[in-house]
Amino acid sequence: MEKIEEYLYRNAELYPGKRAVVCGSQELTYSQLLKAVESRAKELRGNGEGNGKPCAMRTVQNSGFLTDYFAIHLIDGIAVPLESNIPQERLKEIERLIAETEAPDKCADILFTTGTTGKSKGVMISHQTIIANGENLVQAQGFSEETDFIICGPLNHIGSLSKIYPVLIAGGTLHVTEGLKEPGAFYRALGNAGRHATFLVPSAIRMLLTFSSEELKKHASALDFIETGAAPISQTDMEELCRILPDTRLYNTYASTESGILCTYNFNPTCGGEECIAGCLGRPMKHSGIFITENGTVACSGKTLMLGYAADRAATESIMKEGILYTNDCGRIDGRGRLHLTGRRDDTINVGGLKVSPVEVENAALSHPSVADCICIAEEHPLLGNQLKLLVVPASGEKFDKREIARHLGSRLESYKIPSLYQRVESIKRTYNGKADRKYYRQKS
Amino acid sequence: MKEEIKTLLENALPLINPESDFLFAELDSLGVATILLTLSEKYGIRLDHTDATPRNLKNIEALAALVERKLAEKAAGKEK
Repeated sequence: MEKIEEYLYRNAELYPGKRAVVCGSQELTYSQLLKAVESRAKELRGNGEGNGKPCAMRTVQNSGFLTDYFAIHLIDGIAVPLESNIPQERLKEIERLIAETEAPDKCADILFTTGTTGKSKGVMISHQTIIANGENLVQAQGFSEETDFIICGPLNHIGSLSKIYPVLIAGGTLHVTEGLKEPGAFYRALGNAGRHATFLVPSAIRMLLTFSSEELKKHASALDFIETGAAPISQTDMEELCRILPDTRLYNTYASTESGILCTYNFNPTCGGEECIAGCLGRPMKHSGIFITENGTVACSGKTLMLGYAADRAATESIMKEGILYTNDCGRIDGRGRLHLTGRRDDTINVGGLKVSPVEVENAALSHPSVADCICIAEEHPLLGNQLKLLVVPASGEKFDKREIARHLGSRLESYKIPSLYQRVESIKRTYNGKADRKYYRQKS
Repeated sequence: MKEEIKTLLENALPLINPESDFLFAELDSLGVATILLTLSEKYGIRLDHTDATPRNLKNIEALAALVERKLAEKAAGKEK
C-alpha cells in the first residue's frame, strides 16, 4: 500500500458495516466513512484543491476533520492541520510559508512544530512515513481489528494524529473525544464494549491520577493498552499506573514530528513488559534505527523520518544528513539495546508534551510597547511538569500589566506558548556576548 | 469568596476572562485541571473528575457555589 487511504478502501470492502469512527453520539461505519471521504474529495477538487497544493485546515476533534484529512490525500493534496484557535496573525504567517513551499510529490502532510531558533517550522511528511509509522505501532503495540482507540489529544499534533494510521491498518475503531476537559466523556468512552487503547501525554496521566484514580481503576479491565510520550513521565506516575492497571500494557514511546515514531517500551512488568524505569524508551521499531552520536545525542534513521522543513532547506540540512536525522535529545543505549533519554541539548521547554522555543515567546513579548526586555523560563508545575514564566523589564514610564501582555501574546502565538506566570524584574542577566543567560535561570529555578 | 476566586483565576490563567458567563467554553483540559487544583488547594476541599462539568465551571458564581457546597460537605463529614 502506498497511501493510508488505501486501507480505508480495503476496510470498506472487507468490513463495510464495522464502526470506523465514533464521536459523541455520531458513528460512521467504514462504508459510510469512505462515502463521506469520496464526496468531500469531489467538493475539494471543485474548490481547486489537490494536485500537490497544501490545504490549511483548522483541527476540530470530530469525524469531519478525519473526512477532510483523508479527502485531501485522496486528491493528492497536502493536509496542513492547524490548531483550532490559531491566532489570525499566525495563520497568515503559515499561509505565506506554505505558499512559498515547493513540496515533493510524495508529501502528504505539513505539520507545524516549534523550532529551536524561535521560528515555527513546517515538517513535511510523506505517505511512506505515514504507513511506516502505522506499521511500527501495529507490530510493536499490538493494534488489532478489536482495538477501539480513544483519541484524547489534538489531532494536529503527531501524538494523536499518528494513531489514525495503525487503527486504519489494523481495521480498528477510532473514538474521537475533545480531550480530558470533561473526564467523564473519557470514562464513558471506556464504558463502551471493545478493547480500548489511548495515547495520553504525561500531564494528562497526572491529571487522571490526581482527580480520578479510583475511576481509572474501575475501568482497568477495559484498557488494553495506554501509550504515553512527548514529555518525560515521572517514575512515581509510572509505578502508580502499573499498580492501578496490572493487566494493561503501558508504553513509553520515543517520537517527534521530524523523526516519526521510533522506539517504544512496555514498562508494565505484570503485563508482558520489562522493568518500570523512567526515561527508558525501549528499542527501535521495525522501520527505525537509532544510535548515539559522539556528543551523546540521539540520531535516527529509517522510513519514518520527515522529508524536510517546508521552505527552509538550511534548517533541514542542519539536522538531516545522508538519511540520518540528528536530534537535540541526549541519551544512551543500554546493554539490552534500550534507549534511555537523559535531557535536551537546546533551550526548548516542554510544556505538557508540546515543545516551546523561549525565543519565540520573547520575540512576541518584545513587540509589546510596555516590554523593554524579557526572558521566558521554565518553572515547575504540578500537572504539566513545566510551565512558562516570563520575566519582564518594563519600558520606562510603562505600567507592568501581565494580563495585557498575555493578551498580546495570545493574539500572536498558539495558546500553549502563552506563559501562565509573569514577574517584573529590574534587568535580565545576559552572557558576555549579550545573549540571555538561560543557564543562570535554569540553575536558579 | 467570588472576588477571591476571581483573583485566583486571574493569577492562574491570565488569558481567560474570569467574568465570562461562558468560562467552561474558554478553557482547555489543562485550564479545567488548573482550576480544580487551585480551588482544592486554596479551600482545603477535595475535587474530583465528576466536578469538572460545564455547569460547575460556567462562571465565577457557579465556582463559588461549588466551593461552598464542598465546604459544607466537609463540615458535615460527608466529603467523598
